[in-house]
Amino acid sequence: MTEIVMENLGKDFGDFTALAGMNLTIGDGEFVALLGPSGCGKSTTMNMIAGMLDPSHGEIRFDGRPMNGVPMARRGVGFVFQNYAIFTHMSVRENLAYGLRAQGVGRSEITRRVAEIAELLQLTPMLDRRAAGLSVNILQRLAIGRSAVVEPAIFLLDEPLSNVDAAFRAVMRSELKSLQRQFRQTMVYVTHDQLEAMTMADRIAVMDHGRLLQVGTPLEVYNHPADTFVARFIGAPGMNLLSGQVVSSDSGTQVDLGAAGRSGPVMAAQGGDVLFGFRPEEVQPDPAGPLAMQVSMVERIGARTILHLVTQGHEAKAVLDSETPTPGQGEVFRFSIPAASVRLFDAKTERAL
Amino acid sequence: MTDMTSPMPHARTDAPDAEGREERRLGFWLTLPAQLLVLFIALFPILMQIYISLTDWSPLDGIPWYRAYELWIGLLNYADLAGDPRFWSALWRTGLVMAICVPVQVLLGLGLAILFVDDFRGKRVLYSTILVPMMVVPAVAGYMFFMLFQSGGPINDLLSMISGQRVTIAWLSDPDLALFAVIVSDIWQWTPLMFLILLAGMVSVPQDQQMAAVLLGASWGRRFRTIVLPRMKTIIIIAVAIRVIENFKVFDNFYIMTGGGPGVATETISIYIYKVTQQELIWGYVAAIALAILIVLSVVSMLAIRKMRKA
Amino acid sequence: MASISFRNVTKRFGDVTAVDDVSFDIRDNAFFCLFGPPLSGKSTILKLILGLEKPDAGEILIDGRPVTGIGPAQRNVAMVFQNLALFPHMSALDNIRFPLVERRVAPDKIAARVAEVCEKLHIGHILHKPPAQLSGGERQRVAIARALVRDPVAYLMDDPISALDARLREQTRVELRRIQQEMGKTLVYVTHDQEEAMSVADGMAVFQAGRICQTGTPEDIYRHPNSTYVAGMLGAPAMNVVPMALAASLQVQGPQGADSLGVRPENLRVAPGEGARITEVEPLGGFTTISVDLAGQSLRATLRGQPRFTTGQPVALSVDAGRAHFFDTSGAALAAH
Repeated sequence: MTEIVMENLGKDFGDFTALAGMNLTIGDGEFVALLGPSGCGKSTTMNMIAGMLDPSHGEIRFDGRPMNGVPMARRGVGFVFQNYAIFTHMSVRENLAYGLRAQGVGRSEITRRVAEIAELLQLTPMLDRRAAGLSVNILQRLAIGRSAVVEPAIFLLDEPLSNVDAAFRAVMRSELKSLQRQFRQTMVYVTHDQLEAMTMADRIAVMDHGRLLQVGTPLEVYNHPADTFVARFIGAPGMNLLSGQVVSSDSGTQVDLGAAGRSGPVMAAQGGDVLFGFRPEEVQPDPAGPLAMQVSMVERIGARTILHLVTQGHEAKAVLDSETPTPGQGEVFRFSIPAASVRLFDAKTERAL
Repeated sequence: MTDMTSPMPHARTDAPDAEGREERRLGFWLTLPAQLLVLFIALFPILMQIYISLTDWSPLDGIPWYRAYELWIGLLNYADLAGDPRFWSALWRTGLVMAICVPVQVLLGLGLAILFVDDFRGKRVLYSTILVPMMVVPAVAGYMFFMLFQSGGPINDLLSMISGQRVTIAWLSDPDLALFAVIVSDIWQWTPLMFLILLAGMVSVPQDQQMAAVLLGASWGRRFRTIVLPRMKTIIIIAVAIRVIENFKVFDNFYIMTGGGPGVATETISIYIYKVTQQELIWGYVAAIALAILIVLSVVSMLAIRKMRKA
Repeated sequence: MASISFRNVTKRFGDVTAVDDVSFDIRDNAFFCLFGPPLSGKSTILKLILGLEKPDAGEILIDGRPVTGIGPAQRNVAMVFQNLALFPHMSALDNIRFPLVERRVAPDKIAARVAEVCEKLHIGHILHKPPAQLSGGERQRVAIARALVRDPVAYLMDDPISALDARLREQTRVELRRIQQEMGKTLVYVTHDQEEAMSVADGMAVFQAGRICQTGTPEDIYRHPNSTYVAGMLGAPAMNVVPMALAASLQVQGPQGADSLGVRPENLRVAPGEGARITEVEPLGGFTTISVDLAGQSLRATLRGQPRFTTGQPVALSVDAGRAHFFDTSGAALAAH
């Protein structure tokens, strides 16, 4: 249970800046996801917290104690690797006991704590099995157990679900989340999958190109993305962004979207070129709606139907539930966007207005 | 890489069905001639050895080898062998050389591998340098060490410089020192191979497992003992097996340095066989020795392989 | 152009029956998906179509003609492998040309054919690059181009996009569907991802342990699963299946013989009230997944938007009219009430 503070943290590899001036405080017992595409700096950040990498500048503090120069073995950090890094030549029991043995804990104490963690993670029946050949979800539990048994103050997880079958990921997600609740440790979770971040994290830190773009609860980040990158990255599909111009007329302020039409009244503090953003889920089919685009493809995925829409220069998606009648491929789809759902971004800076 | 199985379904195609069995039978007949040829090439020399070893045949008798049965003596050669002190001493000496060389080479190789598994300045140059002895022809290596260990050679010169008085140790004519000298040459030549094999094994130990051990607070020694060594077990057994078998056959550098002497002080089994073959020309007896060694080596390799399977 | 039909096909490997009395029809130009968990027989079906395996019983027809005894080379069916199997030392162009060069097609014909395929796949601009310099999606298209260049009657794909990350998968599956529509060739596609299967296919077969449980359009199977197994395979979160004893608490009446009641999460209505308790609220932005406890049974509901529910809140549950599914004791679906 530790608060992690990163202050102006940065890492350069030669000319390449992997992380530039990161400022982030992760509260005691908080579950924070570092989210971004590959190469965004999220793993670099995590490796610096663990002590596998030394920062080029800036500072990391655990509960106020500066960590620069502290070797990783003495940081009290539990690390769950992408492929779990289980010692496959040992039994489950030996894996769990490894950290305790390394720290010179007494034999009876080791037996007790291994039994305890095994019980908690439902590993007791397979304690004496060899770790090679265990199924993925058991490997995940074992990896977590092996780190948890030494009672680290901080848990770092490096894309632990990326090798897991799609069908199985949901199960693993909820298992991981309930484990975090049991341990109540500070957790930092690295992922490129926005769904994992949305479903598990207390707060999400969205990163791209070595920069921290936005930090907030899943819904804050979803509802009020700070820039177009976050808007596109969060949500499946991501936010639609159509370039347009703010125009004022008798009927109030609107956004002219060219061939797609003219939006309903919006709240806009500035005129000129903007990106008109709306979530695919907020699209309202409306025969009298102000916007119209052509349907290029209809994807029916059970409960949801995704319409792929195009018009000269614009591409967008709409998510409807399967009960809503949908136009066919090639037809024109008219729709409206509730004013409260519209997000405007500056066309040049791509920042939210 | 990972220990996880990919979600790739169906790995069952190797299970035979009626169709497959038919195809396999055809395959057997088509490859039979080639298989017989290979079998013949591999087995003929051994069968011939067995045959000759049961006779008192010698190339000087004027009888072609296939008529050696005229000199049939049954197991007499083997009985002689069992009572031949020179054979037993050569065998014992070979074992002694092996018992010293193999552990030293493996440990030195392991030590070097530990140094080379991490990056440091000048690693590439040093790496190539260390591998040079391995590429030297054994006979040439023998000649080099023959020169080095001359009583007026560089080694004595070096010792003179260090001690400040003139050193003239007769390395190659003292029985114990001669054995020491040939062992040094063997270690010099074959440690690089051990280094190469063990380094390859060490590099293949998953990095993240070592990192995980570090994060769990394991010291370097514990990590080496519990993660690196167990994962290198197979490769170490292979390395040891290669050296044990090779060491049995050691000949060139020993023969050039000492000719097996002084007396029989450095006479290993190979040198002994060479002398019996070329100098005494009792080939039936040689065949018996060769077979005896083949059996010893087979047992050693079998033990090593069994050990490897278990690991 | 080809239709593909299986008539009572069985394939055994030793003691294991990989494909068990399977019959289905894939019409010409269909995007047909074989869907099921790993080891349920999907990949064996592909091998049977390709001619790499021979059925132990039954018959396979391509374009209405039995293909028994016709070797893989003569069937003219192409395959895109899971790992794509591109040759890393060749440029994209050489990869694509490879099947034609191997068949000693005249150079001018090769050039014309490659140009035609590459235009349809939009890869003209990357032809000079080796696979290592291509993105995941581009590599995918090169692999498809290589499969299509010899003008096969049908092409098969074995889980081709499972290695891509989530965002790329969403894009690629739409792309695959566009390509299939433009190329107009029968495509048989294997996957174990339900969302992918429903997204791309216009026809699908759901597999369980070598048998087909149900065939139809994805929409049809999703709406009318014929068993609890099929119901559970399609849709995420999966369909809630509860004993009929709880039907009254969900304000549903079942038909005679109903043993269990199935409700898709999106058809479960949650409103403030009594009867059940919320155990978890998972806001996903456009949707919110709510877990509720109903007499010891855990149910999941997917609600649109970001409704204000909190953990521990008592709620009343109901089911959208006509959207309840009923199953008998064997798990087979009964006609809706």
